Amino acid sequence: MVKYNFKKITVVPNGKQFVDIVLSRTQRQTPTVVHKGDRICKLRSFYMRKVKFTESNFNEKLSAIIDEFPRLKEIQPFYEDLLHVLYNKDHYKLALGQVNTAKNKISKIAMDYVKLLKHGDSLYRCKCLKVAALGRMCTVMKGIGPSLAYLEQVRQHIARLPSIDPNTRTLLICGCPNVGKSSFMNKVTRADVAVQPYAFTTKSLFLGHTDYKCLRYQVIDTPGLLDREIEDRNIIELCSITALAHIRAAVLFFLDISGSCGYTIAQQASLFHNIKSVFKNKPLVIVCNKTDLMPMENLSEEDRKLIEEMKDEAMKTEMGASEEAVILEMSTLTEEGVMSRLLDQRVAAKMKSKKIGDHLNRFHVAMPKSRDDQERLPCIPQVAGEKEKRKTEKDLEDENGGAGVYSASLKKNYILAKEEWKDDIIPEICDCHNVADFVDSDILNRLEELTSEESLRKAEEEEVGFEIEGEELTEKEKNDLAAIRKKKALLIEESRLKKSNAQNRAAVPRKFDKDKKFTRKRMGRELSSLGLDPSSALNRARSKSRGRKRERYDDLSNDAMDVDVNDDEQHKKKKMCLRSKSRSLSRSRSVSRPPHEVVPGEGFKDSSQKIKAIKIGHKSHRKRDKAARRGEADRVIPSLKPKHLFSGKRGNGKNQRR
Amino acid sequence: MPQGDYIDLHRKRNGYRLDHFERKRKKEARESLGIKGKMIAKKNYAEKALMKKTLKMHEESSSRRKADENVQEGAVPAYLLDREDTTRAKVCLFFLFNNTIKQKRKEKAGKWEVPLPKVRPVAEDEMFRVIRSGKRKTKQWKRMVTKATFVGPAFTRKPPKYERFIRPSGLRFTKAHVTHPELKCTFCLEIIGIKKNPNGPMYTSLGVMTRGTIIEVNVSELGLVTPAGKVVWGKYAQVTNNPENDGCINAVLLV
Repeated sequence: MVKYNFKKITVVPNGKQFVDIVLSRTQRQTPTVVHKGDRICKLRSFYMRKVKFTESNFNEKLSAIIDEFPRLKEIQPFYEDLLHVLYNKDHYKLALGQVNTAKNKISKIAMDYVKLLKHGDSLYRCKCLKVAALGRMCTVMKGIGPSLAYLEQVRQHIARLPSIDPNTRTLLICGCPNVGKSSFMNKVTRADVAVQPYAFTTKSLFLGHTDYKCLRYQVIDTPGLLDREIEDRNIIELCSITALAHIRAAVLFFLDISGSCGYTIAQQASLFHNIKSVFKNKPLVIVCNKTDLMPMENLSEEDRKLIEEMKDEAMKTEMGASEEAVILEMSTLTEEGVMSRLLDQRVAAKMKSKKIGDHLNRFHVAMPKSRDDQERLPCIPQVAGEKEKRKTEKDLEDENGGAGVYSASLKKNYILAKEEWKDDIIPEICDCHNVADFVDSDILNRLEELTSEESLRKAEEEEVGFEIEGEELTEKEKNDLAAIRKKKALLIEESRLKKSNAQNRAAVPRKFDKDKKFTRKRMGRELSSLGLDPSSALNRARSKSRGRKRERYDDLSNDAMDVDVNDDEQHKKKKMCLRSKSRSLSRSRSVSRPPHEVVPGEGFKDSSQKIKAIKIGHKSHRKRDKAARRGEADRVIPSLKPKHLFSGKRGNGKNQRR
Repeated sequence: MPQGDYIDLHRKRNGYRLDHFERKRKKEARESLGIKGKMIAKKNYAEKALMKKTLKMHEESSSRRKADENVQEGAVPAYLLDREDTTRAKVCLFFLFNNTIKQKRKEKAGKWEVPLPKVRPVAEDEMFRVIRSGKRKTKQWKRMVTKATFVGPAFTRKPPKYERFIRPSGLRFTKAHVTHPELKCTFCLEIIGIKKNPNGPMYTSLGVMTRGTIIEVNVSELGLVTPAGKVVWGKYAQVTNNPENDGCINAVLLV
């Protein structure tokens, strides 16, 4: 259900103003200059834009009207009835329907003319079409002028309706005209209803609020009712009938026993009996008003009888509780009685409703299980019982006129040297000093103390540093801690050293060994010259810094020194030397197997068989390769001209990729 | 909380603001400024002119005027009444003779009394737009109509490859706003067909509607009956505006 806010409906301009607003908007917010020599598409788009812009503006404003005005089916039945009484449901619906039709017509016009504008081939023709389109839209708006005027009136009136909540606690005041309903309302609430000596001063419903037992009650004042048939009633009376019918409230039927309103008690009684059907299921109170003019005792016999009759009627409708006709003279006491009865009724209704289960489930009063038969009464000390209730500020407030009239004096309980100083106004600045600085006589000392305390605390914090929560370490523990830390540091150092040791790189960095003087041999010679056995050192040096093929290298290096080796051999060995050198230098490169090497899973007996098989395989495709025929391994293009790359329109791009 | 007619209530209780009337006067004066003021002034002037005219009209009928003495054709002054007027007879005969010839010629030509006897001729390049077709866009035998057309309900296009005259669907109209000259009211009636386009028979056959075209409209809405008792459902009307500029067809019924 859409939430309507009657006070926030946008103003509905009348037909002419509407047209003016939209057209001037179009003129201001669309480009205004176009030249005859421009391209035709530019001319067309210029005028189409104007037509579309105007249409969208009309659409927007008319939609706003349709959305903001309440739909009678979607609001509360009380408001629906009230609006029907005030504005006539049919007229209202018709007006809104006309606005909707206009909106659709305008959309259609815009659509048609935009289609026509596409065929415009000259500036003059496009301009004529645009003028025709806007003109037709404005004619449509002219047609709904009366509806717009009506809706504007409705809007003004609807915004001034009081916001009555039909579901909360309400009191409804009804009765004949001029009996004193509005005066009662003024006394009980803060609403300022006009009170005049003539009848029908109040012409519509008025709303006020009161408080009772910390609950807020709505009080609704209605215009007076005359004793007529329902068909003859005028709009004002129908308002009050609607309120009576729809709002679940306590009804106060006002009776003027003095007759100064112009109607006798008999007439008022007949009115009561006419509308008593409306009072079903509502707590009813008959209020005899204006007892200052004619006290109850002076009433004649038949008048008293009439009142008794009404009381009987009232008691019949009430749900079982007893009821009194209350005699009132604008005092607040009677209001209490009424409201407590309303509250009771509301609670009773709630208990009967189905949802009571949900509410009751939320409450649980825990009663302690009794362990023996001994009765334990609540123990209230005598002092508490004797002491009379202290007068609270709220009581004071109520006594002196309620909230808004009485403001509590906060300075009442000040403790000062002299009593008359209580009401004095304390200045903020005095003799160019802030008064707040001198609130305390030794404020400076206090400030000193505070700052010193603060600094002490900070110093302590820094000193202590991080400690194991609350505990102090013993001497032994401190030593252990120091030892652990030292060991940890050592380990860290070792690992760092390991990382950067001779396993990863040469013990002597290259920059110190450009001539490559630091060889293994030299080390061996030096060591032997020292008289030590160099073999283990040499082995270790080899194993850590060279790769796999160290034997070969060794042999080769030895052989290279030999003079009388064959050229072939040397050549071969050189070749192998080079290869192995390169191989062993790049340790990380993976080495593929030589083709004749037999791998166990392949199924060859020995390497000669494998070589034979490889040769047969080569032979089988040698001929075909020579003939340069396409084989299985060659790249295949399934379709040289695929359709998706060679068909279809494209704007400015190429068809290298689609 | 202000309720109901709070503005009036406040005014009744407290009266107007001290400067209320001055502000009201100034606000009204401000309305005559600016572009809005100009529009208001123009409207006021138009109203004033109209008012003056109507007043003058009313004054005319109330004032008395000299009776107009129309001189009849062939009237002679009293002193010439006795003479025989042979020439007049000859003149009469001559006139008669002329008249019949003219009438006959008209009937032969098939001219009727129409509200717009003469219209501006529309050139072919204004009526059609050349459409280029073909692979290299060199063929120029197709034409597209740029004016409003009527095609009829049973119309289907020729195959696009063969159609020479293209009538775009955005420019096809089925209804016309027809004014009855005597009743002075306008109806929106369906077009049945095109009778004659003054620019040529080709346009008539194409169904092009320009200013001055005679169209046939369905007048069953009006409920006209022939003296014999038959219901009239089709009547001729002449187009009075340029439909391509206005987006609608306005016509006058030929009664």
